[in-house]
Amino acid sequence: MKRSPLATLLLSLVTLLVFILLYGPIFIPIVTSFFTVKYGSVDWSQMNLDAYAKLTGNEGVIEAVENTFIVGLSAVAASLVLGTVIALHCNSGKSRSRALLQFVVFLPFLMPPIITGLSLLIFFREVSIDRSMLTIIIGHTVFVLALVYRTILVRLQGIGFSMIEASYDLGASAPQTFFYVLLPNLKSALIGAGVLAFALSFDETMITILVTGTQNTLPLRLWAMMRLGFTPDINALVAIILALTTVMVLIAARYLIPKDFAGADA
Amino acid sequence: MTAKPIEADRIWRGIALLAAYGLPIFFILLPLCGFLVYSLFWVEGTELHYELTLVNYRRFFTDEIYVPVLRQTVVLCLEVAGLCIAFGYPVAYFLSGLKGRKKYTLLMLLLVPLLMSYIIKMYAIRSILGGNGFLNRSLIALGIIDQPLTFFVFNLNAVLLTLSVLLLPFAILPIFLSLERIPKNLLEASADLGGSNAQSFFRVILPLSLPGVISAATFVFVLAIGDFLTPQMVGGQSGFTFGRIIYSQFGTAFNWPFGSALSVILAAVVIVAILVGARFGGEKAGVHR
Repeated sequence: MKRSPLATLLLSLVTLLVFILLYGPIFIPIVTSFFTVKYGSVDWSQMNLDAYAKLTGNEGVIEAVENTFIVGLSAVAASLVLGTVIALHCNSGKSRSRALLQFVVFLPFLMPPIITGLSLLIFFREVSIDRSMLTIIIGHTVFVLALVYRTILVRLQGIGFSMIEASYDLGASAPQTFFYVLLPNLKSALIGAGVLAFALSFDETMITILVTGTQNTLPLRLWAMMRLGFTPDINALVAIILALTTVMVLIAARYLIPKDFAGADA
Repeated sequence: MTAKPIEADRIWRGIALLAAYGLPIFFILLPLCGFLVYSLFWVEGTELHYELTLVNYRRFFTDEIYVPVLRQTVVLCLEVAGLCIAFGYPVAYFLSGLKGRKKYTLLMLLLVPLLMSYIIKMYAIRSILGGNGFLNRSLIALGIIDQPLTFFVFNLNAVLLTLSVLLLPFAILPIFLSLERIPKNLLEASADLGGSNAQSFFRVILPLSLPGVISAATFVFVLAIGDFLTPQMVGGQSGFTFGRIIYSQFGTAFNWPFGSALSVILAAVVIVAILVGARFGGEKAGVHR
């Protein structure tokens, strides 16, 4: 069907508007981070990096960055190991217990984060685990596990059983098959899932705010700073975070999108 | 090379199985069950009574605050879903008309903001919408208004607009996928039979893309209703939502069992939404039936 020029024009205008709506809130803090803000209005006359310099002296922020990386990397490691184990198990056959396990893994992804967060909060209190970095890491792992598991499972299904059977036929043990046959084939899925999980963890706020003790991650730190009011170093921090996120998105896209996807119907 | 490696294999396999089942059950299923049980306890002052009672649920249904707030929140989230579809559908339709590489690059660009910091976007939108914000100042500078508008400043409208902007990509993707799945020959058939563009759209494309629209609405609704930070940030005093009430039970009000009961009710609403979405939307109800 050929679309009429008028329809195409209207559709592209709406698309343009949506792009502005989606990217406006991202670009405004980046742009203003290079200028001085006084009494709520931006002084456009000269660019400077004052806000960035001020940020390096902000200890709370530096600690929050450290915490965010510790939590993110730990959650990625835990979810990759657990996700791989569960995917290998669920891929090895069909049973009611496997279906149930898969359902449980997906629950935190289906339910609103407030429910995952609150259930963990109550659980930690009842089993007397003090809220700490560990509880944040558990919360994040539970949250990203579904996505990691799903990514690995899809790749495993793509590999099929013939390669695994061939490996066993040639006399390889289970660990040998895993390390020499499966792992190399899973590598790009693991990297992609890991980066995506890190990006999710990096941004996770609702579960974190419920299961944290006194530790701040970056989103929590930003949340606290923003409630107090406007300071230029928030914008500088925002710009840095967005730059980091962009890099992560690019890496994830490179590993997760199949090579022929871009030209699928060209 | 005989007994030992196989024995070791079996031990490793046992540990792996234990982890595969044990950890999700311990850290996902158990907390969720505990949570259900907690909603049946009750609180007196600061003391928690571990006795089963329905008093929290009774309070929810009889107190004149909670049911109306839930209703208002559900309506708000339906409006968010409506707005997201109103903007997401034309975008998805535009994308589906593009060719090859351009199509998927644009789609990626529309989805990337999902991974961009949620708090930052919320904060930026607040600074755009505020009484002295970018939008009001631009409108005044353009001479369209002379007093700052207040209908989108720190109230439910602000929550509506902010959530819609945050969740819009979740609406675009399912609609795009359902549009992509419509076989091209149906459109050719429609054109061959003399259908105009408008007829082809309203009689063929729109009905066949409805499952995608319903999936989109479900995604957006579920994500919107669970959000308690956005209303807190942009909602001000009047923008009270169910999520905020739940959160306050775990903070200032310090009534965890009642908060749990409210969350169970929230979960029930979410499950209904997901079931409706699964029944009428998505993969199964697609073109092939």
